[in-house]
Parts: sequence; structure tokens; C-alpha cells
Amino acid sequence: MTEPNKELKTEEKAPFFKSWKGWYLLVLGNLVFLIILFYLFTNHYS
Amino acid sequence: MSLIDWTVLLGTLLFIVVYGVWKSRGSRNINDYFLGDNSMKWGTIGLSVMATQASAITFLSTPGLAYESGMAFVQNYFGLPIAIIIVSAVFIPIFYKLKVYTAYEFLENRFDLKTRSLGAFLFLVQRGLAAGITIYAPAIILSTMLKWDLSLTILITGVLVVIYTVSGGTKAVSLTQKYQMAVIMGGMFIAFFMIIDYLPDYLSFNNAIHIAGKMGKLEAVDFSLNPEKRYTIWTGLTGGLFLALSYFGTDQSQVQRYLTGTSVAESRLGLIFNAILKVPMQFFILFVGVMVFVFYQFVQPPLFFKQAEMEQIYSTEYRDQVEQLESAYNQNFEVKKQQLEDLVVAMDKNESEKVASLTAQVQQSDAEAKEIRGELKDLLLANDPEVETKDSDYVFLTFIMNYLPKGVIGLLLAVIFSAAMSSTSGELNALGSTTSVDFYKRLIKKEGSDKHYLIASKLLTAFWGIVAIGFALFARLLENLIEAVNILGSIFYGTILGIFLVAFFVKFVKGNAVFIAAVIAQIIVIVSFYTFEISYLWYNAIGCALVVLISMLLQLILSGVNGSSNSGHTA
Repeated sequence: MTEPNKELKTEEKAPFFKSWKGWYLLVLGNLVFLIILFYLFTNHYS
Repeated sequence: MSLIDWTVLLGTLLFIVVYGVWKSRGSRNINDYFLGDNSMKWGTIGLSVMATQASAITFLSTPGLAYESGMAFVQNYFGLPIAIIIVSAVFIPIFYKLKVYTAYEFLENRFDLKTRSLGAFLFLVQRGLAAGITIYAPAIILSTMLKWDLSLTILITGVLVVIYTVSGGTKAVSLTQKYQMAVIMGGMFIAFFMIIDYLPDYLSFNNAIHIAGKMGKLEAVDFSLNPEKRYTIWTGLTGGLFLALSYFGTDQSQVQRYLTGTSVAESRLGLIFNAILKVPMQFFILFVGVMVFVFYQFVQPPLFFKQAEMEQIYSTEYRDQVEQLESAYNQNFEVKKQQLEDLVVAMDKNESEKVASLTAQVQQSDAEAKEIRGELKDLLLANDPEVETKDSDYVFLTFIMNYLPKGVIGLLLAVIFSAAMSSTSGELNALGSTTSVDFYKRLIKKEGSDKHYLIASKLLTAFWGIVAIGFALFARLLENLIEAVNILGSIFYGTILGIFLVAFFVKFVKGNAVFIAAVIAQIIVIVSFYTFEISYLWYNAIGCALVVLISMLLQLILSGVNGSSNSGHTA
């Protein structure tokens, strides 16, 4: 049986950031931003 | 439905199916068939992950949920980005390093064969039944609303999915999902702008949102610690994290989507795409439902959105009472509409005292409208104690059918079918790969040619397609089936996640300990389910915690008894 592609890169540099931590912080920052935005939205319109 | 609608609906669906079959033709081996020859870029992976998660019920039920109870449901997704970070950082590199086809192969590498088989078996039971419901749930709503034959609706949806999923495998699933997501989001945006366009001329978009807010529909974040509240930021960040971690980390229907990437980076970016966009997307779908709610404050809504139930009760002794309720509901609507019109004028003039007074009046009228609907539901139950009185799933479809123009109706129905097909294809693909790789290739026929395994994989995917269609056809004979499948999912999901969490994070635990712990945990969960009356969602957490704790305890005991570790390998 054919094995999954052996040429796959398992350790690869994160694009745009120095490491993947940059991306993870972006995701967390985006989540915090959305929660704050939704909170302000909730308060403003209620 | 008009000829234009049929043309748009069938044209869209057939184009996607034919395109998927054509573009993915000629799979040579099972790497190609199940992992798309690891050729997918992050954009395709991201859309594929999103499309697998978003079923037709997402687009039918979510706007209805917002219509009924507002935006609070969005909080359920707050844990998802955190879960994706964990999956990206911990799960993906190991899956790639071990070059696995399924998540359960990792369990053999980390523990042993029996633990792998147990994990794969639990997935097949749970996802095999869920695939049937993914087809059945929208079919029952569409057939009820449009008076289509239920069996025919199920067969058409199911057969179309089986054709391209079996013929093209993962590549066909991912490619079609990309276009299905385009149809879904395009259709939802068009619906949203049409709803805004249908609002009265004197009502600005800003005032429409203010009205929704004043009627309690925009509470998107709730910091309350009250455990009786179903959706708060805390339940979202804990329960939502837990569910998303189970789903993205251990459910093969998702794992297979991101394992098709050319590299770890592409897979991670595909998931991060979801981590960033999923919450705003759910917010938008809920917001569409809120705008439908505002629309129905100025255009008379039906007393009950399930028209078939109304037609049925009209032929009974309750007819007079229902007519009285309808009359009261219509009167209430006219009074509330006038109050809202006055409120809009007061808001435009910045008359804060008048705004406060009219807001209170509108809220009072809204409460009365809810009471009238409650009385109708009591009558429906008195007439038939088995009847489902929740009609929110029918709200958005009622709006589509009654108010959207020709052509757009066809497009929105294509949205619903696309969503049903995209999630079903991901599920069938995963069921086929798990059965082929974790059972057939591993336990039944260990040595075979590429061609042999390719044919076997196609046959097994087709088998699961037939099971899903058969289950969907049979589903109408069972009461509360959707809830039954959700319960089944909650009962097994916790155990599977527990096994994976031990595999990744509790390095000293080995194969025998985790296997025995999983079996004990599963038995305790099943016995508890029949013994205690707690919400079935808790069994996710209970099953997972039991596996982790019992396996650690057992490992300590076994290590003490043997003086050394028992069987199993460490990743």
C-alpha cells in the first residue's frame, strides 16, 4: 500500500511571523477583540 | 416554486457535483483517494473544514434560534479559536510526523492496536448515525414546507453526495466544498441585503438594530455566572473549548480535511482561517435571524411557523380556539407595530423619555405575543401530545419562500442543499477512510495492491453512503431521533477525547491502562445516563475526565504491580 507522501515538511517556518506563536497570538487577539466588540455592541444597542 | 428557481437550484447543485467528479477523476491509490495526494493549500483546507462543520441545519436553525432568543448562541463558539491553537500546536505536527491517514492510527503508535480499534469503533458508531441525520434533518423541513416527497428528497441529496464522494474521494470532497461554501455565503449575503431592503422606508438600518436591541435580541455577550443560563461567555470558553477540541482534534471528518495539506504550515493556516472567521460567521448568520425578527415586527408573521401543524389542528375540535388566538395575535401585531412606529419617530427626535416609555410598551406587547403563541402550543399538545412545538427551524425558510424573489429562492434552497451535501460528504469520506485504514487494511487484509485498497475504499465509502441514506429514510419512524443521536454523540465523544488527551499530555500512561480506563469510563457514562437526570452535554466532560483520571490511577497501580511499565509505546 502506498504510504502518505513522505516529502511532507513537518517543521516549517511560519509565514509572516517569526514563529507560529505569532499566529496563535493573532488568533487570541482576534478573539479578545471580537468579545470586546460584541460586548460594546450589546451595550450600545440595548 | 418557479422554473427559474428550479433551474438555479438544480443548475448549481449539478454543476458542483459534475465539477467535483471531473476535477478529481483518476485516483491512483489511497493516498490520493483519502489525502488528496497531500496537494491542498490552506485556502481549500480552510473552506473544507468550515463546510464540513456547517450543515444544512446550521443555516436553517441558526437564524430561527436568533429570531426566537437572540444572539447569545454566538458565545458557544468562543472556545473554538483556543481549541484550534491547541490542535495546531500539538496534534497536527504529530499526525504529520507519523504520516497517518486517520487520527486513530496515532493511537496505535502511542498505545496499542486495541486502543486504536476502540477509538475508531467509537467514531464509526457516532458519525455513522450522524451522517444519516445530516441528510434527514434538512429533508424533513424542506419536504414539510415545500410539500416534496420526503423519501425522494433524502434519496436525491444522498445519491448526489455518494456519486462524487465515492468517485473522487477527498479531493472531490474538498473541491466541491470550496464551491459549496461560496454558494452558501453568497446566498446568505444576498438574503441579508434583501431583508434590509424589505424593511419599511422610515426605518433606518441603525434604528432596526436599536429595535432588535430594545427587544432583547442583541445580547451577544453575557458575563452572568448563573448556571441556569444556557449561553454565557463562561460556558462558551469552557464547554465550547471542550467540544471544539473533541471535534477538530479527534473526529476523523475534520482531521482528514486538514491532513490533505502539502505541509504542516498549510494545515495550520487552514485551521487558523477557521479560528479567525468562524466566530464572525456565526455572528453574521445569527444577525440575519435578528433582522428577520425585525422584518416580522412590521409584516404580520404567522402565529405558528409550521404550517402543516396549523392545517392539521384546523380540522379538529380546537379550530374555534385557534381562530380566537389568531385574531388576538393579529390585533397584538397591529398594536405593537404602531408602538414601534412611534418608537422610531421618538428615536429620530432623540426624545429619551418617550423612547423609554415606548420601549416598555413594545416589550409588554412582545411578552403578550409570546403568551398567545404559548397558548397555541398548549392546544397543539392537547391535540397531539407527541407534536413538536418548536417552530424556530421553519422561520427562515418561511421568510425565504414567502418574500424572496424568483431565482433567489432557488439560490437559497441551493444554499441549504449545498450545506447538507458538504457536511455529509466530509462525514462519508471519513467513515470510508476509518473503515478502510483502521479495520480492513489493519485487521482483515494486511497485504494488498494499491488498486485493491483503492477499490475496497470506494466500496466502503459507498457502503457508508447507503447506510446513511437508509438511516435517513428510516429516521421518520423514530421519535426524537435527532436528540437521540446527539445524546449518543455526547456519550462517546468524551471517551474518545479522553483517550487522545492522555495520548498527547500524560506521557507515563501506556496502552493497557488507557484501554481499560476507556472501557470503564464508557460503562460508567452509559450507566449514569440511565441512572441520573443531568443534561447529556455533561457526559462529554464526565467521560473525558474519567478516562484521564482512571488511566493515570491504573498506570500507577500496574507499574507498581509489574515493577516496570506494561505494554505500549511512547510517541
